Amino acid sequence: MSAAAADMPPSRDTSVRGLVRRFGPTAVLDGLDLDVPAGAFIALLGRSGSGKTTLLRTLAGLDVAEQGSVELPARRAVVFQEPRLLPWKRVWQNVALGLPAADARAHAEQALREVELAHRMDAWPLTLSGGEAQRAGLARALVRDPDLLLLDEPFAALDALTRLRMQALVAGLWARHGMSALLVTHDVDEALLLADHAVELQHGRIGLRLRIDLPRPRRHADARFAALRSELLTALGIAAEEAA
Amino acid sequence: MSDRTSALALPGGRSHPLSAIRGLVPRLWPLPVGLRRAITPLAILVLWQAGSSLGYIPSRTVAAPIAILAAARDLLVSGALLHHLTVSLLRVIAGLSIAIVVGTTLALAAGLSRLGEDLIDSTLQMVRTLPFLALVPLFILWFGIGETPKIALVALGAMFPIYLNLFAGIRGADPKLLEAASTLGLSRAALIRHVVLPAALPNALTGLRYAAGIAWLSLVVGEQINADSGIGYLMMDARDFLRTDIIMVGLGVYALLGLLSDQAVRALERRTLAWRPAARVGR
Ligand SMILES: Nc1ncnc2c1ncn2[C@@H]1O[C@H](COP(=O)(O)OP(=O)(O)O)[C@@H](O)[C@H]1O
Ligand SMILES: [Mg+2]
Repeated sequence: MSAAAADMPPSRDTSVRGLVRRFGPTAVLDGLDLDVPAGAFIALLGRSGSGKTTLLRTLAGLDVAEQGSVELPARRAVVFQEPRLLPWKRVWQNVALGLPAADARAHAEQALREVELAHRMDAWPLTLSGGEAQRAGLARALVRDPDLLLLDEPFAALDALTRLRMQALVAGLWARHGMSALLVTHDVDEALLLADHAVELQHGRIGLRLRIDLPRPRRHADARFAALRSELLTALGIAAEEAA
Repeated sequence: MSDRTSALALPGGRSHPLSAIRGLVPRLWPLPVGLRRAITPLAILVLWQAGSSLGYIPSRTVAAPIAILAAARDLLVSGALLHHLTVSLLRVIAGLSIAIVVGTTLALAAGLSRLGEDLIDSTLQMVRTLPFLALVPLFILWFGIGETPKIALVALGAMFPIYLNLFAGIRGADPKLLEAASTLGLSRAALIRHVVLPAALPNALTGLRYAAGIAWLSLVVGEQINADSGIGYLMMDARDFLRTDIIMVGLGVYALLGLLSDQAVRALERRTLAWRPAARVGR
């Protein structure tokens, strides 16, 4: 992966060009192009094993692609499917991990307040519920004030009600902070609730790209929501048939 | 803490497989658990005393419980017990301290670097298969018959569980946590400090618990050879005079010391592993 030309001002855009990543003989990412303009919210769909996590890991700097170029904002943060909190550190210490020591606790508390978890800041992570732990993970990402937030199916393991609350929370945080977000999800409704664009990863590239032009805050009950939903489902369904 | 609470408090909400069965067994005994557990040992004590008093158990085989108590009192009053106990305790503390320092250093070197692993691990894994107590004759040749061979034996025996468990703990640190922490911009040193070492701590303490047990075992062996003080010496000396009562006192003291050191490590676990829900329940 070669960093793109050293442009003068550090860009807050994310741009991926010609990304190739192989595991053995099969190319999981095969010349993938993707743009996440500053402030955009992109939902990344795709069947299991299509390489969504691989793409996210590359953007997070956890995986190195063989070919292609990636241009990224410097401040990035990741929220994984599992909360991945260090169980031996209190919630606030997890959030503050890696921050400069001066007022780390105050910053952590502020971020925890944003995810409505300030009252648990001194708790041990293993005593949190699934939703609370995931909110702590979100606070840990937020506190770094990222320009790009990477979310890998962060709500997949939560119950339906908690998931709805988390989605509303993320929508609010994104609107307030104005960072770009790339959300991997299986859930078409989630994409429609949160994203400006839904893209589908297919055969190692971005196949489908659908603009989601709904007013915010979004509601399932909205008539246009239902229309877009069937449009997206059809698009995904047709794509699946072509693949077969 | 009753069995019931600890069974329910296992992490992840899983309950102990036995707890389901236990629930089916009617509670015939309304006695508290501690009392129920004491029944068998007490019965043995009573039978033993009766056997001795009635002459079925000769005192040269094993002394009667009451005779053992009397011997213990005499040894306490004369100060002999305290003297030998102090000597033994100091040997274990010295040996265990060396084992902790050396074992931890080696495990850190092998666990945190490939080069360290190549240089240290396979060699130690080989040496470990030696029954280290078989080194006693060599140790006597090398170190004479003073304190050194005894402390060395304790140190050698106790070092392996510390090394092995800490090494396994370091290598077993959850890669997912490491990955998550590395996305937070932690340096390698910070990753080791905040992720790897705390992840290895439960293993390290298990190693320490085993090490304490082996330390006492090594001391028992070490003190029965060419010693002129220590609990082991007290017992060997008693053997020459067929004083089974004193031998039994020595056994009891060893058992007590083993138990106490085990409890000490468990207390340390409860303090340092307070983050584990199971640890807070205690056992
Ligand atoms: N470290 C790895 N080693 C080998 N194969 C991998 C590795 N990581 C992912 N893969 C493979 O790459 C493919 C894409 O995986 P992933 O990106 O996790 O898919 P998704 O997140 O879309 O479900 C899968 O077939 C997976 O088995
Ligand atoms: Mg995935």
